Amino acid sequence: MNTELLFNGFAILAVLGAVGLVLFRHPMNGAMSLVVTMVALAGLYALLSAKLIFALQLIVYAGAIMSLILFIIMFLNLQEKDLPEESGRWYYLLGGVVVIAPIALFLIKIVKTLPGSEATIVGGGFGGIKEVGLVLFQDWLLPFEIVSILLLIALVGAVVLAGKRRLGK
Amino acid sequence: MIQDYLVLSIVLFCLGMLGVITRRNVFTVFMSVELMLNAANLAFIAFSRLHQTMDGHVLAMLVMAVAAAEAALALAVVILLHKHKSRLDTNVFSLLKG
Repeated sequence: MNTELLFNGFAILAVLGAVGLVLFRHPMNGAMSLVVTMVALAGLYALLSAKLIFALQLIVYAGAIMSLILFIIMFLNLQEKDLPEESGRWYYLLGGVVVIAPIALFLIKIVKTLPGSEATIVGGGFGGIKEVGLVLFQDWLLPFEIVSILLLIALVGAVVLAGKRRLGK
Repeated sequence: MIQDYLVLSIVLFCLGMLGVITRRNVFTVFMSVELMLNAANLAFIAFSRLHQTMDGHVLAMLVMAVAAAEAALALAVVILLHKHKSRLDTNVFSLLKG
């Protein structure tokens, strides 16, 4: 009973944050409403007894990535005149809804055929650091290493792209 | 019920897709992509809970790492674009249009 209530609250918060992200004109407002979505999703992960992912969602997503985005938005110091005009935004949104709604309804219809299970919180070690780590370093070792190389390349690429050009032509 | 989580994930994914195809602000498009990644993560965790295995959690962690790499690169590109044109409109960046 309590779980249902919490799920409904977090789901409404997440959807409201996402709608705000799509509708707000200034990216700063959009980023703040995306933070609301991230935090609500962290609560949903906790309801699914994913303890480690709950912590990672709060620290990495709502903490690190969103503060990076906010930092860049503030760094560029956007004024009202820098923003795109988007005068026909509502027509675009209407068209987008018309295009996307059938896809969403189709997917929801598929999902409804899945076997259900009541989402009670699982006790024991489900979703803890030890269990996830064992799977990560036994079955998923190669993807883990590839992701580390990807992070290194992204780091070098970001420095090369955004850094100062010391050597002129 | 697990289906509720999956329906929420679909709704969030479609909202992210809506943001990508209808908005013209570079930042909003980028954050909509992040929203889509989050929706995929929610589906992973819900399926992991349904099957009582840990693989979905591991995949969600990998998605988070990829999202971090993507954020670093995309923000560098945004800074570069802003330096060149000092605009944030995706319609301005159409150099490849014939």
